[in-house]
Amino acid sequence: MPKNNLSRFIVYAVLIYFAVYYLLPLYVMLTTSVKSMDEIRGGNLLSFPMHITFAAWSKAWSSACTGVECTGLAPFFWNSVRLVVPAVLISTSMGAINGYILSKWRFPGSELVFAMLMYGLYIPFQVLLLPMAMTEGWMGIASSTTGLVFVHVVCGIASTTLFFRNFYVGIPDELINAARLDGAGFWRIFWRIVLPMSIPILMVTLIWQFTQIWNDFLFGLVFSAGGSQPITVGLNNLANTSTTVKEYNVDMAAAIIAALPTIFVYVAAGKYFVRGLSAGAVKG
Amino acid sequence: MGALAIKNVTKSFGDTHILKGIDIEIDDGQFLILVGPSGCGKSTLMNIIAGLESPTSGEVNIGGRVVNDVAPKDRDIAMVFQSYALYPTMNVRQNIAFGLETRGVPKKEQEEVINRVAKMLQMDHLLDRKPGQLSGGQRQRVAMGRALARDPILFLFDEPLSNLDAKLRVEMRTEIKQLHHRLKTTIVYVTHDQIEAMTLGDRIAVMKDGVIQQFGSPQDIYERPSNMFVASFIGSPSMNFIECHLAEQNGQVGVSLTSESDARFVPLKDGAKFAKRVGQEVIMGVRPEQLDVAHGDEMALGCKVMLTEPTGPDTMIFTRINGKDVTARVHPRDAKGPGEVMRLALDMSKVVFFDPKTQLRIE
Amino acid sequence: MIQSTRPAQYGFAERWLPRLVLAPSFLLSLIFIYGFVAWNGYLSFTASRLLPNYTWVGFSQYARLLDSGNDRWWVAVENLFKFGFLFIGVSMVVGVLLAILLDQKIRAEGALRTIYLYPMALSFIVTGTAWKWMLNPGLGLEKMMHDWGWTSFQFDWLVNPDMSIYTVVIAGIWQSSGFVMALFLAGLRGIDDSIIKAAQIDGATLPRIYWKIILPAMRPVFFSTLMILAHIAIKSFDLVVALTGGGPGFSSDLPATYMYAMAFTRGEMGLGSASAMMMLLTVSAVIVPYLYSELRRGRNA
Repeated sequence: MPKNNLSRFIVYAVLIYFAVYYLLPLYVMLTTSVKSMDEIRGGNLLSFPMHITFAAWSKAWSSACTGVECTGLAPFFWNSVRLVVPAVLISTSMGAINGYILSKWRFPGSELVFAMLMYGLYIPFQVLLLPMAMTEGWMGIASSTTGLVFVHVVCGIASTTLFFRNFYVGIPDELINAARLDGAGFWRIFWRIVLPMSIPILMVTLIWQFTQIWNDFLFGLVFSAGGSQPITVGLNNLANTSTTVKEYNVDMAAAIIAALPTIFVYVAAGKYFVRGLSAGAVKG
Repeated sequence: MGALAIKNVTKSFGDTHILKGIDIEIDDGQFLILVGPSGCGKSTLMNIIAGLESPTSGEVNIGGRVVNDVAPKDRDIAMVFQSYALYPTMNVRQNIAFGLETRGVPKKEQEEVINRVAKMLQMDHLLDRKPGQLSGGQRQRVAMGRALARDPILFLFDEPLSNLDAKLRVEMRTEIKQLHHRLKTTIVYVTHDQIEAMTLGDRIAVMKDGVIQQFGSPQDIYERPSNMFVASFIGSPSMNFIECHLAEQNGQVGVSLTSESDARFVPLKDGAKFAKRVGQEVIMGVRPEQLDVAHGDEMALGCKVMLTEPTGPDTMIFTRINGKDVTARVHPRDAKGPGEVMRLALDMSKVVFFDPKTQLRIE
Repeated sequence: MIQSTRPAQYGFAERWLPRLVLAPSFLLSLIFIYGFVAWNGYLSFTASRLLPNYTWVGFSQYARLLDSGNDRWWVAVENLFKFGFLFIGVSMVVGVLLAILLDQKIRAEGALRTIYLYPMALSFIVTGTAWKWMLNPGLGLEKMMHDWGWTSFQFDWLVNPDMSIYTVVIAGIWQSSGFVMALFLAGLRGIDDSIIKAAQIDGATLPRIYWKIILPAMRPVFFSTLMILAHIAIKSFDLVVALTGGGPGFSSDLPATYMYAMAFTRGEMGLGSASAMMMLLTVSAVIVPYLYSELRRGRNA
């Protein structure tokens, strides 16, 4: 049927057009990052690099200026790693145990706690910035990785709890009852029955939290200083440091470095990433 | 002391009353069925016996001990769940062992128990599989095995066969019955299926709206239903309810029955009992098999057949008496086709009568 | 069947352990979320500037904030409307379109989906940095067009105070439209196939089936997507900082960047906290009715 073929053609054309639209910026970032500044000035956005050089990459990593200091992104990258690992692990484990309680061990008032956490998901964090900054100063953890981990845990509990709670609601209560009749208590049921069933949601939550915290900028900007700033702050400083010549190749290399971990996770575990987006989305 | 005694148990959520004063007592080794339509409170009652829900008021007594404040694990009970509730990440062996393990049974003893149960239920070959790799019937078997691994005072079965297909359900029903005969354990069994209730139970509690409508032996409930709900719930096809007028003719108390082609006055078996009610409306309850083809010259009513439904061993005949649709169960060789007239005789020794207002059986 | 809402619990452990284990999260959120909201609210009624100063000044910070002379705030609010409207509208249209097209038994659907969605894995800072380079007037898009022979082409939105907010819109749509696609595609996959088959047997054309049957069935997805996008829009901060820095001047400020500037760089803590409260009120006005209806629906289901 010619009409059908034509409409199929149009569908594919539109889809490919959009694929190009989403991919172009990535292409531009990649090609720009391996060009020299001369080549950038001589060519244009889409021109293919003639002489591939990784000078911009090494500069972005180890010697580009991010303000007064010129250490490249490396220290920021490791700051982010030091931040992300504890923040993700703590917020995820608290979410798992909270979700378990809020779905399987409800008590008078537990619904209220849940509603409280739910609403907390939607609060614009701007409202917390000033009091949090003052409190962290008073607690002596301002401008430190510990302080930043703390903020991310406090603000992450709501979504991790929601993820696990919604997953655990799907586990039949009969299973918990069977375990109770088998003589298992609160912790044994969690460790032996519930947690082994949680691998999918554990993956979703770990990836979600990892992406959120790695990509966070606001908290990094407000609650860290010099030696503890995360990579997003480093990248922003690098790209906005006014030097005489704007080095776009270094900017792009730095942007890719900042994006690599999350892109890697996305490619390696895209299924869980998408599930997290929709799970976080449906109510959050 | 009985294995299970429930005394005036109620359960309410705010204004919703799920159970309104339940009293049940059974002896050791009895098979108790809780049966009723969904929403009647039978599952709630089961959960209260298990300790998974707590009663609003009343007392639960298991093996001579009040267990209201005893945790499920300490009530000396085992339960088979409707969804089987097998731990999906453990294999069959681990599923059975889990309860033993939490109770600190030594490894060697655990092995012995698993082997005994596996042999009893013929599932040795399934021990290393995960629940996801089992068929519905096999899962059901494992769920029973898990319950049998312990030696409790009381077994609880919560609609254990409702997720199986019809053929398997009948097989497992027989197996459960055999198991009960062999082990002589006390069982409480919840079902909404009246055939399961009749075939399995020693004692049946028919429930509706949080109230026990009747508590008795299967035969008792079938032959002497205490009200119209029990009468219609138990038995398939349902009991026929024929509205009729009690009258006295020639010194005999009886009812007049009218079909589309015939009318007749049928005297009651022990009419004297009904003398007080002469002149009143009553509802006559007739089971389909109590309405059979008249072979001799006994009192019979000519009825026009509207529809027939052969089931194999019997054929159902649909006709009308006193303006009501009525089903008769007859031998296939006696059945006639639609439009024809059959002479049907009532077994007046078995029919029962209900009061149209209270719906209770007239004693 | 009516289900019990809570299991019966026995003994000290069963009764108190859950409460005890939940307590830290409860306290953290009570103090560090709700307590801080109250504290921030309190700050907004004080004379705090560079340092907190708990002199009660009533609504005067709000009066200053909402004063018609406070251009910067009003620009930020106006920008939020422009940005929010375009960002949500276009992302929604693109996302729904892509979802419907992808639902036509497309070869390589997985690969396309991966491509559409990857921007969502990026930080807004990365997105902002990349688009800042592409849209820059000297060497970016403009030069490319010139190279291709369109010498009169001008694209100076990044440095044009009237247009700078639209660069944020462009980058925002690029980042989030794939996300809308993913949500709607999941919704479309959840629709019972037999409805579509029945409609086809009734002789309905495919566009008509989508317009009359499928899209109306996607109302819940539509609303939750709307909520999320609105939420992203109101909280947008990173993208503006990385792309335009709020400039030129303060022409591309949003309430979130305004709040940050007042609270942390301009020494106007009172104004900053007042603007944060305004953001909270805006979000609540949208979210509270939504949450309420969600919870009610959940209870009735």
